[in-house]
Amino acid sequence: MYKKNIMNSNAFKATAIALMLSGCATQSPTLSSGNVEYGDSKTVETLTNEFGSTDLQTIAESMASSLLQSPALFVKSRPLVTVAEVKNRTSEYIDTKSITDSIRTKIVKSGMVRFAVDTSAMQTQVDELTRQNQTGLYKKNKSKKMGNMEGADFRIEGTITSIVKRAGDVKDVYYKFSLQLVDNESGVMEWADEKEIRKTSNKSMF
Amino acid sequence: MPIFTRPTSLALPILLTITLSGCSVMRSYDDELKQTIDLAGQGQLDQALTQHESNNTGGDFDLLYYLEKGELLRLKSQYKDSAGAWLLADQKVNEWENEAKIRAGAILENAGAVILNDKTRRYDGHDYEKVMLSTRLALDHLLSGDWNAARTEIKKTHEREAIIAEINAKDNEALEQESKEKGITTTFKDLNGYPVETLSSAEVTTLKNGYQSAFSHYLAGFVYEALNEQGLASPGYRQAIELQPDIKILEDGLATLDARPSLRKPSKTDVLFVVESGSAPALSSVTIPVPVIVSNLGVIPISFPVLHSDPSHTLQPGTLGIDGKDTLPLAAVTSLDTMSKRALRDDMPGIIVRGILRAAAKAMSQKVLMDQGGGAAIAGIALNVANVITESADERTWRTLPATISIGRVTLPSGKHDIAIGSSKQSIDIQGSHAVVVTRLLGNQVYWSQPAYGPQMPVYTVPAVIQPTGNTGSPAIKKPLSKSKKKKAQKSIHQAKG
Repeated sequence: MYKKNIMNSNAFKATAIALMLSGCATQSPTLSSGNVEYGDSKTVETLTNEFGSTDLQTIAESMASSLLQSPALFVKSRPLVTVAEVKNRTSEYIDTKSITDSIRTKIVKSGMVRFAVDTSAMQTQVDELTRQNQTGLYKKNKSKKMGNMEGADFRIEGTITSIVKRAGDVKDVYYKFSLQLVDNESGVMEWADEKEIRKTSNKSMF
Repeated sequence: MPIFTRPTSLALPILLTITLSGCSVMRSYDDELKQTIDLAGQGQLDQALTQHESNNTGGDFDLLYYLEKGELLRLKSQYKDSAGAWLLADQKVNEWENEAKIRAGAILENAGAVILNDKTRRYDGHDYEKVMLSTRLALDHLLSGDWNAARTEIKKTHEREAIIAEINAKDNEALEQESKEKGITTTFKDLNGYPVETLSSAEVTTLKNGYQSAFSHYLAGFVYEALNEQGLASPGYRQAIELQPDIKILEDGLATLDARPSLRKPSKTDVLFVVESGSAPALSSVTIPVPVIVSNLGVIPISFPVLHSDPSHTLQPGTLGIDGKDTLPLAAVTSLDTMSKRALRDDMPGIIVRGILRAAAKAMSQKVLMDQGGGAAIAGIALNVANVITESADERTWRTLPATISIGRVTLPSGKHDIAIGSSKQSIDIQGSHAVVVTRLLGNQVYWSQPAYGPQMPVYTVPAVIQPTGNTGSPAIKKPLSKSKKKKAQKSIHQAKG
């Protein structure tokens, strides 16, 4: 007869290890000068009206949830997508890659989509394959073969634009982030969405 | 202000401060740097460095010491040592940033400057110097082949510009308020005998501000582009155009940004030539009688700083020769000379208010002592003499910076090229997908840099031009552009015309 021994179950072991590890974490000593504090990364940031962390998070959240509802992604099981460029049409140094990275992470976590390396990571991909195949350092039957990369079904591309206006002490900034999903073979745009953000600051508020 | 309520209490502090801060009060920075720059302009860099060290003894080095030292080491092609000196300068600027964020708006809070002269203030650097420090650090890293470190410095430049803008806004507001309270309406245009034209030319007044440079932003665009970050390259080129409109090379930087990756070839290098010439303007002191309305003290002589353009009298080249056959036009995109004038123009309200408050404080202390007669009157005379001796404008400014920065951009086959500026020639090995070549002209010297290998951007096979062949379905593949046609396309992209 099968006897259930809770002490030997994998779930129990995993829970015990997790508890031990989390216990260690809470007991870690803290070094502090008293001048530095950790804050909540999700805190709404309104220090200036330049593009900030809250804008990045808002755009990524909004675009990822909208994209995941696109019917195009349900036609094929786990389609392969790549991120093309998000063109920055503003005068601000906005790291658009950081925005698309956040969107990509949220989508990947959903498990519905796979991502192919984008152009910015292509050199690293080529270098790795070259290293495995052409340096003579790897076993031939263990190295990943050249010529097996998969082409993406869709690409994500977009733009960010802004309109900045000043009147007296008031500065108004309007951002528009547009994103689209294009079928790489047919060239058909399968999905598109926009996120608008308006930020107004008044110098006399300082 | 307490300065005007108890004037006698100021006499002793004034005399004490004069004694204790003797060196900084009497220091002539212009004299010190003139010798250093003359030596560098004659190619005697070791002597210039020795001179610089002998001008700065005591161990507690200020920001200017590191700024000038970094520049001299850079001329010697010691990029890592130069970056080391500039990173120490950068620490001091960081300290200023942290303090300034807290004390923004307290522009007049500095007892030494109010009592003696502006030289007693800690040298925090002019705003354009702080920004230029990050840009020059980025150039040092590029010349050492560390493009990612250059990117860090470039990112710091944007953040620094934002901090400066915020602090300036608060300082200006505080200054306006102080001037209103004290009834000070004097502007530099009212200073009889001041060379007003140096600060009023169209090129000075049309600058957006005194600290943002088109070169810094174009360089940002170039570095981001080289690192395949088009989204960040685009605002770099765009801001350069906004700061210096109607310069073709700047406009081309943005206009052809999207087209450039498809024109890239593994055997070619996109080269940015940076040609710096001359030295930044010198500051001298001019004393002008100014009516001091505060406490009705009449007309009092006050010292103000005056800028003198490029004392090294270096020629600014308009072209650069490549391999003895091609000529690349150079466009002057940033004038440190004009920027420093604009910075002084923007600083003048604060200098005037501090000068008037200082003059009033000195005059009132002296008057009270003289009125008491006897021994106090003798102290009053001594104080008067000390006031005359110590009244001098702040001459400190980063003098080894260039007066002008010009750029030219061209795509060249990777490998060695003979580059010529005037009669000076240098063989330069250019490798990688992007490279930056920096040349400095100072006095009768041309200092060349040999760039380390640049980043190697991924270059894939040039796509064939595919044309539909009607209804047959199968596309016809057309041969890529002929060599001559491509050459023309590339040339048109990179032609620089000032």
